[in-house]
Amino acid sequence: MDIELSKEDLDFEAEVRGFLKENAYTGGDAEAWRMNWFEKAREKGNWDVPKWPVKFGGPGWTPNQHFVWQKETARAGTPWDMPFGLSMLGPVLMAHGSEEQQQRFLPDIRARKVNWCQGYSEPGAGSDLASLKTKAELSEDGSHYVVNGTKIWTTMAHIADWIFCLTRTSDAGIKQEGITFLLFPMKQDGVEIKPIITLGGSHTVNTVFFSDVKVPVENRVGEEGKGWTYAKGLLEHERTGIAGISNSIVALEGLKNKARSVKRGNGSLMDVPSFRAKVAELEVDLMAVEYTELRSLATASAGTAPGPESSILKLKGTDIQQRIQKLTMEAGGQFSAAWGGTNAGPDFARAGMGGYMSSRVYTIYGGASEVQKDIVTKKVLGIKSSKK
Amino acid sequence: MNFDLSEEQQLVSDSIERFVQENYHLDSRIAIVKKSPGYSEEYWKTMSELGWLGLPFSEDDGGFGGDQIDTMVLMEQFGKGLVLEPYLASIILGGGAIKRAGNDEQRQAWLEGVIDGSKQLALAYAEPESGDEPHNVALAGSKTSDGYTLTGTKCMVLHGGTATAFVVSFRTSGGTVDQSGITLALIPADREGLSIQAFPTVDGLQSSELTFDKVAVTAADIIGDVDGGFETLNATINDGILAVAAEAVGAMEVLYKDTVAYTQDREQFDHPLSDFQVLQHRMVEMFMEYEQCKSLLFRATMEVASNGEDAQRCVHALKHLIGKASFFVGENAVQTHGGMGVTEELRVGHYFKRLLVIEAQFGNTDYHLDQFAA
Ligand SMILES: Cc1cc2nc3c(=O)[nH]c(=O)nc-3n(C[C@H](O)[C@H](O)[C@H](O)COP(=O)(O)OP(=O)(O)OC[C@H]3O[C@@H](n4cnc5c(N)ncnc54)[C@H](O)[C@@H]3O)c2cc1C
Repeated sequence: MDIELSKEDLDFEAEVRGFLKENAYTGGDAEAWRMNWFEKAREKGNWDVPKWPVKFGGPGWTPNQHFVWQKETARAGTPWDMPFGLSMLGPVLMAHGSEEQQQRFLPDIRARKVNWCQGYSEPGAGSDLASLKTKAELSEDGSHYVVNGTKIWTTMAHIADWIFCLTRTSDAGIKQEGITFLLFPMKQDGVEIKPIITLGGSHTVNTVFFSDVKVPVENRVGEEGKGWTYAKGLLEHERTGIAGISNSIVALEGLKNKARSVKRGNGSLMDVPSFRAKVAELEVDLMAVEYTELRSLATASAGTAPGPESSILKLKGTDIQQRIQKLTMEAGGQFSAAWGGTNAGPDFARAGMGGYMSSRVYTIYGGASEVQKDIVTKKVLGIKSSKK
Repeated sequence: MNFDLSEEQQLVSDSIERFVQENYHLDSRIAIVKKSPGYSEEYWKTMSELGWLGLPFSEDDGGFGGDQIDTMVLMEQFGKGLVLEPYLASIILGGGAIKRAGNDEQRQAWLEGVIDGSKQLALAYAEPESGDEPHNVALAGSKTSDGYTLTGTKCMVLHGGTATAFVVSFRTSGGTVDQSGITLALIPADREGLSIQAFPTVDGLQSSELTFDKVAVTAADIIGDVDGGFETLNATINDGILAVAAEAVGAMEVLYKDTVAYTQDREQFDHPLSDFQVLQHRMVEMFMEYEQCKSLLFRATMEVASNGEDAQRCVHALKHLIGKASFFVGENAVQTHGGMGVTEELRVGHYFKRLLVIEAQFGNTDYHLDQFAA
């Protein structure tokens, strides 16, 4: 057992720091900076796609290097990026797409040119995703599918160019069979998007209606009826990403600084025993989960889907993210309730309650916590339900 | 021992319940929130016509002589509908300070208008650095020949944007956190040097920030005794805590009942969600939290209404428990509704937002536990 970073790792760390410093945003056209950043990262050694395997142009980092990257980018900040193409669809195409599909879609994903959205959930299929009903019927000549149905909670559907979509092609057999993984453009007739406003007041999710959308068969990933298997691997990828542990470490530092800026008596809020204790408990949990992630990183070899232990990371990681938001709201005191308009109170309080409300989704999307616990029950504890 | 409402209280409760059911559907509430002034002037008028605005004022002041138990009944029903009208600001807080310590002239000049709804009062006590403590008052009155001038800020003043006048706490002697040396004054909204910046809060209600720039306060404006305002302020805030606690109990009832109903309706894995034991037990706990809050609400309200020895401790205990339960009930209501729980379309999120604002008001959960233990 050894957790010291090697000399090579430390050199790498210095290199990453240098790169992030050199390319930090200094004002001006943010979108131009963003595109340039990814270009520079690519030139640096395929740092624009850290998690992609070497075969598909990734840097082939060791687990330690991934750890260093995560830690440093959380601190320095990186350009805005969407996970859907890069971290969700990408790995599915690499594992199950045809060579033609890989060549067609991966370069644009990598270049951040095409935005994707994830069309899994439906009004009747949330936690029980396999019960999805969006129908895809193969045309008589076998050239295309005709898609009809409704997706819900589709993040960024309103700005996405393409969707990767789970559809039902057969009702025979168990419900996990008969699901087919299709790719098609969002900006076409027959695709209608309705915004859903969430409690923070923002518009990120949508309901999406498909009526007679034609999808050429070459846009089917893998075999008809095997979409569930492909999607399951993808969900496990999503679950590690969602834990956001490096970000939480940075956010916790931020929380402490905020609390120190709030005056209480002769000291600050960080001197108030009850508040300080809550921050300390949070930090202890975070210290542990950081190493849970490291342990999981150490066993995962790059490119393969992380195993069921990733469920623990999502559960713990999202709990920590939510507690940080809650304590930040608390540190803002009653000013956290203001919806703009006030000058009094700390600046960070402005979005306090909005931020807290928005954080409630962390334990719902990407597999709700209760369902994650079911997975751990079955896959890790090995408990099978005994039907009587 | 008797926890039943009197016949009169039951009538009031029923009529408010009906009013809320008829007028406070989520859609109509959202429509009211979006339009200035952020509440319904028509409903406000109705409330005064039905006598609700006069409930906690003495008959001499033109009211109905009710006490904290009567307003508890009303606020609990308001909580079930997330009522937006400035009842707390004008009747409980602003009006509460005047009814306690106002002199005859002040009562005559203001209370009739407050009770008929044509005038509104608001309570301005919190400051940028006062934290959770009502006695933490930095706004200082500098002495003039016939009174004081005030320069500084009061913040998170409920419904300040529509208030006709403010009950303002300021310091006339002592250090920033001393309970003595606090004085209250009644300052009209149009007084020279006073500017009011109104803004909405996340629960859809209205708040404001007051900036005082050499605002003159004359002897006639002073409420009660110079240096002796804290007792009135504290009693008024205690009434505020009882009122929002009752509102929170009403809101929690909606949250747990909505969750029970939703889980029986929504099916996943070929079962209604209510078949899953983790959810069943969670809903039992939500229900328990609600019942516990209701018990402590009764206890604290009766203790305050009867001037009991334990009144202040009970108020601290209540505000603590309400805050703790609000997080538990709110978070779990949202979680159990899944994606639907985080949308503006369903009412659970709106009720939770109101609970969050209540938690942060009048001292938060930790503060009151600390005061309780002290
Ligand atoms: C902000 C946001 C963004 C999203 N983005 C996307 C996206 O881009 N693409 C996409 O496809 N989907 C997306 N989703 C959907 C998300 O994956 C679902 O919300 C999630 O799977 C839960 O489904 P549901 O909302 O239908 O809740 P339900 O499945 O109805 O669950 C409600 C509650 O019941 C619990 N529950 C369900 N089954 C059980 C059980 N067996 N035992 C115990 N408890 C149970 C759940 O844990 C939950 O607490 C998003 C959701 C949100 C909120």
